[in-house]
Amino acid sequence: MSDAEALADRLETAARDVRAIPKLTGAADLDVADAYTVQRTVIDRRLARGERLAGVKMGFTSRAKMIQMGVHDVIWGLLTDAMLVESRIDTGRLIHPRIEPEIAYLIGRPVRSPADVDAAVAGVAVGFEVLDSRYEDFAFTLPDVIADNASAAGYGVGAWHQPRDVSNVGMLMEIDGRAVQTGSSAAILGDPMRSLRAAARLCGQAGIALEPGHVVLAGAATAAVPLPAGAHVRVTASGLGSVEVTT
Amino acid sequence: MTETSIAAAADRLLEAHATGVPCAPVRDLIGPDDAYTVQRRLTERWLAEGRRPVGRKTGLTSPAVQRQLGADSPGFGTLWADTAVPDGAEIPAGSVLQGHAQAEVALVLERDLPHERTTAADLIRATAFALPAIEVAGSRVRDWDVALADTVADNASSGMYVLGNRPVPLDRVDLRLCGMVLERRGEQVSTGTGAACLGHPLNAALWLAGTLARAGEPLRAGDTVLTGALGPMVAAVPGDVLEARIEGLGDVRVAFAKEDS
Repeated sequence: MSDAEALADRLETAARDVRAIPKLTGAADLDVADAYTVQRTVIDRRLARGERLAGVKMGFTSRAKMIQMGVHDVIWGLLTDAMLVESRIDTGRLIHPRIEPEIAYLIGRPVRSPADVDAAVAGVAVGFEVLDSRYEDFAFTLPDVIADNASAAGYGVGAWHQPRDVSNVGMLMEIDGRAVQTGSSAAILGDPMRSLRAAARLCGQAGIALEPGHVVLAGAATAAVPLPAGAHVRVTASGLGSVEVTT
Repeated sequence: MTETSIAAAADRLLEAHATGVPCAPVRDLIGPDDAYTVQRRLTERWLAEGRRPVGRKTGLTSPAVQRQLGADSPGFGTLWADTAVPDGAEIPAGSVLQGHAQAEVALVLERDLPHERTTAADLIRATAFALPAIEVAGSRVRDWDVALADTVADNASSGMYVLGNRPVPLDRVDLRLCGMVLERRGEQVSTGTGAACLGHPLNAALWLAGTLARAGEPLRAGDTVLTGALGPMVAAVPGDVLEARIEGLGDVRVAFAKEDS
């Protein structure tokens, strides 16, 4: 493959300069394994700069998205503490941000095997993810999006609730008080818990430990929508309350 | 001239219903303003044939569908007793033309709603209980080639419907944020929530109640109201088994006979 460091440079530059770049696969021969190496390289640089690993995010968790991308498994990206959005995010630092409603899990005990993960859940919450593909027109192949940390840019979570069945909770995303997306958590692999188990499996294979305090973003309940500047976004899930962000 | 067109449109749809052969659209004959007049002709004919009306359905309750058809409000049609099927039953082949299924919240009323300005309080007091429902919409119009006038004239593209069997009072369920999943033989084909139906299924029912009262044919005690889709509709193929689960309301299922059986 092309030098992972050089490809990581291009992705970092795109994010830093807030300027989209052409797909990596346009010029480089990149397969899925290479792509995860690039993703890890970018994250390792962030960790070297003092950020801390905060968890993982799952992508392509809806059947429609898998069919659209021609894939049969979920993809994943890594979250750092710098991506956590408290209540405000500056869209001026992002290229073409989108936002989507999520279900989030809080890990309470170390996960050493996929079989541990059900008992390791300490909480469940409604969340959101801000996506910002570093690629022009938000267009990419599977290796491109993996290398780009699954388009991750930021995330937020609402109040944690005791673990419970969230296989079919209604979800509503509003911008400035108007509904922009409605759906059910069932769109996340039929049950977000399946996505959590997939996260444990994939992290195990990649040698990444899910530790107490880590967050797993299980996936989106609806399609993402553009995140405008000067907006107030609220995501609500049945029984889980809501989470808000202002741009 | 208009009378001739209205009669011709009604005849076209009635013949498609009677023969099971979809017809051409009727929008060449009528405009959207005439569509409910055509629908009333269908209703009058079917009443004369002895069919029993059992309630109403709302349609066009999602902004996406309204945009697609150029509608600026929901629509309504009549439910007939012979289009209600029991939970889990099989719909015989050919009994719904070009069937498409969607999961909905059904309300069953225990009081009349005669007021032109029906309030939320009126509606909640009048509602005996809610049920999960699958509506199998159908179109007498070939290939679902419908504009607003076509679907309204065609009894709001009604087909058949199935209700769940466990009534749930309104204080036991959050109809705005109830999750909905629709599965075909265990495979997820549609997801959604109550907010997709005009913000809340009761909003759709309120629109319906006021509209019908103004039209002089108000909702009555005992009526079933199908409030509108909670998520995208899916094609119903012969041999399919569909199951809908609505959070807090329970589940309901329907099967479609194979064409050769």
